[in-house]
Amino acid sequence: MINNSEILLRIRGLEKIYSDDGGTETPALRGVSFDIRKGEFLAIMGPSGSGKSTLLHILGFLDRPSGGSYIFENKEMNSYNNDELAQLRNKKFGFIFQAFNLLARSSVMENVKLPLAYADVPEAKQTPIAMKAIDAVGLSHRVYHESSKLSGGEKQRVAIARALVNDPEVIFADEPTGNLDSKSGGQVMEFIDKLHNQGHTIILITHETYTAEYAERIIKLKDGLIESDEKVSSRHHAEFKK
Amino acid sequence: MTLGNTFKTSIKGLLTHKSRSILTILGIVIGITAIMLVMAVSRGAKDLILSQIQGLGSQTIIVRAGREPEGPSDFASIFTTSLKDREVQALKNPAFVRGVLAVAPNVIGSGTALYGSETKNASLLGTTTDILQALEIQPRYGAFFSEADVAAHSSVAVLGSEVKEELFGDSDAVGETIKFYDRNFKVIGVFDNIGQIGAFDIDTNIIVPVTTANQYLLGNNHYTVIMVRVESEAVIERAADDIRQTLRELHGITDPDKDDFFVATQADLAERVGTITGILSALLLSVAAISLVVGGIGIMNIMLVSVTERTREIGLRKAVGATTGDILRQFLFESVLLTSVGGVIGISLGAVLSLLASVILTRFLEVNWGFAFPITGALLGFGVSALVGLIFGIYPARQASRKSPIEALRYE
Ligand SMILES: Nc1ncnc2c1ncn2[C@@H]1O[C@H](COP(=O)(O)OP(=O)(O)OP(=O)(O)O)[C@@H](O)[C@H]1O
Ligand SMILES: [Mg+2]
Repeated sequence: MINNSEILLRIRGLEKIYSDDGGTETPALRGVSFDIRKGEFLAIMGPSGSGKSTLLHILGFLDRPSGGSYIFENKEMNSYNNDELAQLRNKKFGFIFQAFNLLARSSVMENVKLPLAYADVPEAKQTPIAMKAIDAVGLSHRVYHESSKLSGGEKQRVAIARALVNDPEVIFADEPTGNLDSKSGGQVMEFIDKLHNQGHTIILITHETYTAEYAERIIKLKDGLIESDEKVSSRHHAEFKK
Repeated sequence: MTLGNTFKTSIKGLLTHKSRSILTILGIVIGITAIMLVMAVSRGAKDLILSQIQGLGSQTIIVRAGREPEGPSDFASIFTTSLKDREVQALKNPAFVRGVLAVAPNVIGSGTALYGSETKNASLLGTTTDILQALEIQPRYGAFFSEADVAAHSSVAVLGSEVKEELFGDSDAVGETIKFYDRNFKVIGVFDNIGQIGAFDIDTNIIVPVTTANQYLLGNNHYTVIMVRVESEAVIERAADDIRQTLRELHGITDPDKDDFFVATQADLAERVGTITGILSALLLSVAAISLVVGGIGIMNIMLVSVTERTREIGLRKAVGATTGDILRQFLFESVLLTSVGGVIGISLGAVLSLLASVILTRFLEVNWGFAFPITGALLGFGVSALVGLIFGIYPARQASRKSPIEALRYE
């Protein structure tokens, strides 16, 4: 049995129903329950439309569930208001998206500083902290480049630097290698794996098996329900190692 | 996020869309330029008129025949025959009007003056010796006519400097004879350049005894204006009231609205000018206000487009920790910055244009149209432009801040 104190987040019967203006309702999650331990590396897999992104958004406090319960660090998500959620996202979570989502006309430095600015870190301290994060993803030579002029792999590494700059508890990655070739994809996965080894909890969406193999545990979704939830016995990812 | 950081973010946001930002603020620029122009020009006009009124001095009261005109259609009421010798005598009587030093009845007209082959269209001022004291003026050359000249209806004239210049050039005028209203006048005096005093421009006048003017030139027995000089500034209002009282009693008027005369002091006139230029400015400013509203709607429109375009940016900011307030302030700052920049451009443009206007007006109207940078106008313009940004920026900023991070991140 898992020790309760190690549990970082717990969802029970989580539901999400999207309703559009026309009144049609799309159930994206239909009662999902699991726990995630602190420091765990979880991969979420499943066919397109199975609710992976929806789940990740709720876990990352980007969206609210329609039903069920979500307890993060022993506190029910619904007890927070939107601004409190924003602050928690800022301090506890880091996000990596498939589409990178950088501020295109801003430099690498400005992009990585963004979470620090919203955390009210004093100006003078922002640059050294951001520089460390940029260094960690090997982009020290691109600090003041405009982010739109970087390659896809470099962009995603900027996003990783941005995600880790506030030293978050959890890093969420929604198909971070989806727009990348296998070489830069492998590089990105290496950085994510490093973050895991440093103690960050990782929640990764992927539909590529070789990416999922970095994880310690794989949850498969289908039609908004959990199809399987298994530990990965042999984590092998040697094929990406240089 | 700290306000300073939000502010920087807003500046960056604007610089990213430079050309659009510039186009957006045109409406504001025009509105603020208009405000500046109106304030500068109306102030110039007011100063000009006031400087002319001020020549009247603080001890002179003007009594005009006819009711105070209340509008352009009221013009006819100016020409009445309500002021005659009886009224002049009454005003001179200290039992009726206290503190009077001099009472000068005047008639005015205009005609062609001839000297040799030179001609000049001149204004006629028929008056008495009391005018010297009433306006505190003295001829530069020769002498003014005497009370005996007035009593005898003498054909003597004193010339304003411009009339003398036109007819005689540099040569001596005193002692010569000119023809005015087909009558010969002996020139006995010449005034120096005096400029505008009240409604009179002595420089363009030929001044003759009022008795002569009424009998031979105009065929009148009434006066256009009576000028009353009082002892001091302190008694001027009391004297003005006494004059009204006296004339009403004399004319059997009980309702002040039915007055057939009109009494004014320098202070009254100045106040009146202030009211008139105030009304004009208000009218013009309301036109400027409309352009500001139109400009504001333009800002709102562009900001709404910008919010939609930047949906992904908003989502990303929210994902990394921006609160509703952070986003609201960011976009609000943008619109306020935008309109404030428009305001500053408008203020500069308005200042340049009003300087230009003062130069042109001075040259073509041949008046001394002063230019002073309207500081109140500038402050007002800046405040108003920032306010427009605030008011018209609120709705787009709220739209931006209310976007859910997901809606914003999923946006293609
Ligand atoms: N904003 C929305 N409004 C309505 N329906 C939505 C919305 N977002 C997602 N859905 C629907 O919810 C379901 C789950 O979507 P979700 O994005 O979670 O799938 P996914 O597993 O991430 O798919 P993919 O692998 O293609 O990214 C889909 O049927 C989708 O059409
Ligand atoms: Mg998805």
